[in-house]
Amino acid sequence: MSDIDFVGLLSFVPAILRVTTPILLAALGVLISDRAGVLNIGVEGMMLSGAFVGVVASAATGSAAAGLIGAIIVGGLLGAVLAGAVHILKADLILSGIALNIAAAAGTTLLLFLMTGDKGMSGSLASQVLPKVTIPVIADIPLLGTLLSGHHILTYVAFLAVPGVGIFLTRTPLGLRLRAVGESPESAAIAGINVVRVQVMALIVSGAFVGTGGAFLSMGYVSWFSQDMSAGRGFIALAAEVMGHGSASGTMFASLLLGAAEAIAVALQGRGLPSELMQTVPYIVPVIALVVYARRRQRLLARA
Amino acid sequence: MIRSALASFVITAVLLVVVVGIVLVPIAMQMPDPLAVLDMFVLGPFRNPRHTGNIIEMATPGMMCGLAVAIMLRAGMFNLGVEGAFFLGGLATVATVLLVPLPGWAMAPVGLAVGAVVGSSVCAVPGLLRARYDASELVSSLMLNFAALFIGLFIVNYFLRDPTAGAMVSYKIPNDARLPRLVAGTRIHLGTIIAVAGCLLGTVYLFMTRAGFESRIVGLNPAFAAHLGLPIRWILLRSQLIGGLIAAGAGGIEMLGLYQRFSWQGLPGNGWTGVVVAILARDNPILLIPAALFLSYLQVGGDLISRNFDVPSEAVGLIQALVLLVVTSSAIMRNPRLLRFITGRKAAANKTSGPKVAEGSAA
Repeated sequence: MSDIDFVGLLSFVPAILRVTTPILLAALGVLISDRAGVLNIGVEGMMLSGAFVGVVASAATGSAAAGLIGAIIVGGLLGAVLAGAVHILKADLILSGIALNIAAAAGTTLLLFLMTGDKGMSGSLASQVLPKVTIPVIADIPLLGTLLSGHHILTYVAFLAVPGVGIFLTRTPLGLRLRAVGESPESAAIAGINVVRVQVMALIVSGAFVGTGGAFLSMGYVSWFSQDMSAGRGFIALAAEVMGHGSASGTMFASLLLGAAEAIAVALQGRGLPSELMQTVPYIVPVIALVVYARRRQRLLARA
Repeated sequence: MIRSALASFVITAVLLVVVVGIVLVPIAMQMPDPLAVLDMFVLGPFRNPRHTGNIIEMATPGMMCGLAVAIMLRAGMFNLGVEGAFFLGGLATVATVLLVPLPGWAMAPVGLAVGAVVGSSVCAVPGLLRARYDASELVSSLMLNFAALFIGLFIVNYFLRDPTAGAMVSYKIPNDARLPRLVAGTRIHLGTIIAVAGCLLGTVYLFMTRAGFESRIVGLNPAFAAHLGLPIRWILLRSQLIGGLIAAGAGGIEMLGLYQRFSWQGLPGNGWTGVVVAILARDNPILLIPAALFLSYLQVGGDLISRNFDVPSEAVGLIQALVLLVVTSSAIMRNPRLLRFITGRKAAANKTSGPKVAEGSAA
């Protein structure tokens, strides 16, 4: 292990942040929906749709920003669709989310085929990527530079959004109303809060976050769209939010933990370990964490 | 009672036709000859016995995965491990048949039994964690699906892979292990009979046994079940064990019935189809049979138009998603005006919006 020194570990940081970014963005989206009492199971499909629209919109306009905006809009729209399914059609929340995932997997493949004649990849579309950001002075400081500078623009967005979402949920009237709705819709309604409006809004904002995470996949992580490219990341985000115990900072630490697990798995693949087994790590860690949390909650309940 | 069941049937049937139309007509309009596309989709599956056979083959895993989902949903468990259990069950069955020296007659039964037990872990572990620690079975089963996928691919790559085959596939499944074909000219195999029998046994289990009754009480009203002193944790775990065994067995049956080699590179999606089948059948095991047949009819129609015209078969996925949505929509299914219109009488009792369908576990 002597070849892993401190600087070597530090070089891991960009990789971890890169893997964490889409998970964190999506997990923040799930967090907002969950606190409003409408857990967004459609996160996987929204992410895939965001990735798809990012590529298509940026290829059509030649502007990466337009791609990002497109991804945010489609995420928000799908959030509205999910809200409509729950509140207008009165369908079950979880089943509607599953339906959204099935529809997104099928719909993106279908549209990709109609646009490019290829079902697997968007190679023929000249899509754009979002830029990396170099912070002027900090970039030149040896250790701090690696830590803070040179990351993808959405990485900064994701981490800056953490305190934003945290303050919104805990320190603003709207956030308080949102949490009240999630805690007890009946009491919130009696207190004069428009439960439907709050939940619709929460799902739209949730979708916008998840769509942004999707845009990172196809316009940062890689520069194309491929069939089913979200590959369960939406579900990892769901697990991160559950592990984060409903707080923005907790969600961030859980996302970082899962991102680190994935990044280490990717790095270890190069050392001759079976890559398939390494790929299970990001899916097994949340299960273990869930059990640990659930046990602790049980013990606290038993003591109370 | 019979009238309201009829009304629900009529609404469902009309909705299904509307949903298929909504998805298919716009896609067909893109083609030079829209009517030929629609004709191929709707009637094509019945023109050729081989295609009609395809409907029945594809309905087989649909019925069994639907049964697994239905049994768990009846106990109130949103366990989505069916997808991973199906995959791992198929893999473990093939691995047993290939690696364990067995006499020919024992290959299929032993392989399927091992596959069912190994694969069921994907449903059973979330079930155990839920029963023991109260951890959300929804999230952990979603995670374990992918863990099962990658563990499965590892086993294929390191233990079963046939180096002479071009792709990452296993050695050939021995002929002795294959399930017998039933109808000449089609690929309908013994598994279909097992699946139909499974649905009938599922009805007996849910509605005529003590265990099934207990699980329905827990699913409908956990507080009441606790008040009765029922062993809720054990009942929850038992439902998910049974569901996992059925889903994993279905994967093994699919492999031994239809495949030459284990060739899945990703999760095959049958578990999600099972969710749609179960919801369409209202978690009623008998109705799983027509529900699975209907969905596989759509799939065969979709495959036919994708082979004959330039329409990807993914259109069927959109139909499945819409089916799932509208069938669970109580605004449509329990709409008092609609129900009155169909039954042709004034049912004042239907004025209330009815009990909530499957309360989500969002907390």
